[in-house]
Amino acid sequence: MRVDVARLCTRRLSSWRPAKDATVNAFVCAAPPAAPTPAHLPLHNVSVGVKDMICTSDMPTTSSSAMLRDFTPPFDATVVRLLREAGADIVGKLNCDEFGMGSLNVHSVHGPVVNPFQAASDSAPWVDREKRSAGGSSGGSAAAVAAGMCDAALSTDTGGSTRLPASYCGVVGLKPSYGLISRWGVISFADSLDCVGIMAPSVARTKHIFDTLNVPDPKDPTSAPEAARHEAASRAARAWPSAALSALRIGVPHEYFPAELSAAVAAPVRAALARLRAHGATLVPVSLPATPYALGAYYVLSSAEASSNLARYSGVHFGLQVPAPAGTAPGTTASTYARTRTAGFGAEVQKRVLLGAYALTADAFDNYFLQAQRVRRLVRADFARVFRAGADAPGDGVDVLLHPSAMRTAPRLHGSEADTDGLDTYVQDVLTVPASLAGLPALSVPLPVEGDDGWPVGVSVVGPWGAEGVVLRVGEFLEEVR
Amino acid sequence: MLILPCRPPTRLALLARRLFHDQRWPGWQVVIGIETHAQIHSRQKLFSNSLTSGLGEAPNTHVSPFDAAFPGTLPILNQNCVDLALRTAIALNSKIQTRSSFDRKHYFYSDLPAGYQITQHYTPIALEGHLHIPNRDSPIRIKQIQLEQDTAKSTFDPHTRTSNIDLNRAGTGLLEIVTEPDLRSPEEAGAYVRVLQAMLRAIGASDGNMEAASTHLSTSDGSLRCDVNVSVNLVGQPSGTRCEIKNLNSVKFMQAAIIFEVHRQRALLSEQDAIVPQETRGFNHDTFETFKMRSKEEAPDYRYMPDPNLGVLFIAPERIKHTEQTMPELPWVTRVRLLETYKLSEQDADTLLNLGSGQEHLDGGAIAYFDRLCKDRNPRVVFNWMVHELLGRLNTARLTFADNPLPSSQLGELADLVDSGAITGTSGKLLLREMLADPASSKTPTERASSLSLLVHDGLDLDALCAAAIAALPSEAMAFRNGHKNVLNKILGWVMRETRGKADSSQVRERLVALLRQGEGP
Repeated sequence: MRVDVARLCTRRLSSWRPAKDATVNAFVCAAPPAAPTPAHLPLHNVSVGVKDMICTSDMPTTSSSAMLRDFTPPFDATVVRLLREAGADIVGKLNCDEFGMGSLNVHSVHGPVVNPFQAASDSAPWVDREKRSAGGSSGGSAAAVAAGMCDAALSTDTGGSTRLPASYCGVVGLKPSYGLISRWGVISFADSLDCVGIMAPSVARTKHIFDTLNVPDPKDPTSAPEAARHEAASRAARAWPSAALSALRIGVPHEYFPAELSAAVAAPVRAALARLRAHGATLVPVSLPATPYALGAYYVLSSAEASSNLARYSGVHFGLQVPAPAGTAPGTTASTYARTRTAGFGAEVQKRVLLGAYALTADAFDNYFLQAQRVRRLVRADFARVFRAGADAPGDGVDVLLHPSAMRTAPRLHGSEADTDGLDTYVQDVLTVPASLAGLPALSVPLPVEGDDGWPVGVSVVGPWGAEGVVLRVGEFLEEVR
Repeated sequence: MLILPCRPPTRLALLARRLFHDQRWPGWQVVIGIETHAQIHSRQKLFSNSLTSGLGEAPNTHVSPFDAAFPGTLPILNQNCVDLALRTAIALNSKIQTRSSFDRKHYFYSDLPAGYQITQHYTPIALEGHLHIPNRDSPIRIKQIQLEQDTAKSTFDPHTRTSNIDLNRAGTGLLEIVTEPDLRSPEEAGAYVRVLQAMLRAIGASDGNMEAASTHLSTSDGSLRCDVNVSVNLVGQPSGTRCEIKNLNSVKFMQAAIIFEVHRQRALLSEQDAIVPQETRGFNHDTFETFKMRSKEEAPDYRYMPDPNLGVLFIAPERIKHTEQTMPELPWVTRVRLLETYKLSEQDADTLLNLGSGQEHLDGGAIAYFDRLCKDRNPRVVFNWMVHELLGRLNTARLTFADNPLPSSQLGELADLVDSGAITGTSGKLLLREMLADPASSKTPTERASSLSLLVHDGLDLDALCAAAIAALPSEAMAFRNGHKNVLNKILGWVMRETRGKADSSQVRERLVALLRQGEGP
């Protein structure tokens, strides 16, 4: 079934939460009003927005790509089904970077997302506020939650796509451990890294949604079995039995405080660390020496997998198909594919598909793909060495790591900071990709806004695999010691 | 000239002798390797729960979103396909890898919805096996066995100038079985494929249908397809450059393609300084010639990548053990059993083996059918009933053994009726015809024989009948007594005529001889 998404969604949106989204552009489609759910259900009356990379059978799922502009999946993603079964109100689909590729949410067929935040120093009316990026790729999810347009939002996170926008917009963003939340129905960017993320105004609500989605799924071959979840959670609990701040050991990795870190970020993060220590936590300087290599490895692996995952968008079986110009011969299979893929993919996607395809060629495979896999193992080993709940559990290990979620606050959408194509945007992911490569849970928690800049800053809590309980508890401490 | 030692010839010597004696290309050695793609006989596809389909089903009816590569779908490995791969690995004496994994092979074509085929490029499920073939001492070495997905089927309609895509086959499990370049003639290649085919059928891993497809327009309908690598070199010289001939779907075509290729490559090498360019070639069914598809330089880079969804396939030792213990009998083991236990001739054993063992039938395959018939019966007698009588009748009606409507219990009862003398052999054949004409009848063979008045009556007075026959044919009786033993048949015929065939001829013969000898006096 083909639907004119743009027309349909504009009409719906105009009758729903008026005006608010007009200068944010978070929603790309609004759901028709849902039937009321029974009050006893855990997510009764909770409104949830869903990133447009997650399949919904009643709304188009575009991945912000012209390729899937009219595509309505024949099924709900497992996470959407679980939310519906728990009584949540799925209010609509949220803007993002095309196929999750981007850090600013400007690479979208639906247009960029504008950060709803307005600094205290900005005296203009809200609609005329300073226009900054909401971050990417899940910018729509972060912005919708930050603007109060939904109680929570589903996002995805391949290399930081949840934590970065959460940090820029001032909301909580959780990238769970790889394999805990089902990816069935989540449009793949890079399967070995993709996670469904959760955004909410508070850690408590984030946990509420996480608990609903944290179940094994037989439809996802990478879904962790119940026994592995239980084992990891109880090991983390044993390592920190009192769950008290006074017994918490926090690792501070010096590689995550590079010279390039902006002062607007460094100061509030150091202040937060100081408050935690004042309340009894132990701060432990640690080193994760493979960190500088993580970004390069991430871009090789994620682009290689993307080039493979995006090979299916040919226009033959579903999605956009660009016909031959009138009066010309239909041409070969190859020319049909080339026409459709040239028109259907945006510049950033094309760049990464080419990069990834190159990394997989016979000549480059060893130097790029295999080398990146080696780095990935080193990154994993780094983490395993520092956590006391880990398999290599050192006695003096830490329970969690704390570090800034982003190198800076949200960049302006226009002007010099809007350099959306340069290497600089890739560098924004430097603090978030290691946890993705290692498949670890990472939670970005907003810190009190302070300083000259006045824009939100997030701090990330990273724990061992399956230790969401510990990570979320530390997130709550961060909220409590403001 | 090679001088043969006095001790038994070595493998090398045998090889050399065979090479020198191939009159088609004296002095040349032909080197052949085969990659076989066998569709796995499984209800569901390799990574999705949609059903597999046979020929002639409506297009695009067995398709799940995964098969069409819809975004958001993920593969779930069908363990039934893994079990059949393990059986195949055991049958081919291969080393099963306790850890194997899946890779994506990328190319853009409309019959490949995902833009990649999931296969086992880097670490296949089994390595280093071998298979024995007839008329050759050394086994054919198997390089590897891998699990992979079949593609969809695309057909071009020249009238409308459109391509049609049928996704029914997309994602069906395949076993790719790769030999080392050990085969030395088109005949060995044919024998290898036939032995492999019979084995895959016997263990239920694949239908192994090749020939069925050869009449179709499409070259890729069969459940067994071969890619063949061929090179030639002068005996004693290093191996030549190989060419790969793709998608051969019958033994006949494969052998024709090899023969054409040997002559073509020899002709190229016989020219001065000529070389054989490495190529991928196709086979034209009409001209029986191979043709160039692409050169080595045009070979695609498949950009193999480990599949990030499927992880490592662990095969526990217990699973291998269990598979070994529950293996169906392999055809070469069955053959020995037929020869040794049932004392069948080689020809009869091969006849039974070729009846399509392992194929679905109400009563199991032909071998199982025969095994049941043989229980407490003479194997040669039941072989005669099963093959000459039953199969003969089926073949007359243009049916195969797979169409046989009679359970073994019924055919067995028929054989027993004849063996016990309750009915005559002639009546037995008549009874079989009646049983085949109305297989659904609830009557037992004995009841049918009774209602057809075929039962030899207990009251039949053989002595009186034989005496009457001797009295009616005095000159023949005299001739017998004078040593003309053949004349007995005439007297016997008189009795059989009188009883309309109901008398047991061997009993009658016995009685007649006794009576005639009595008449000779002391």
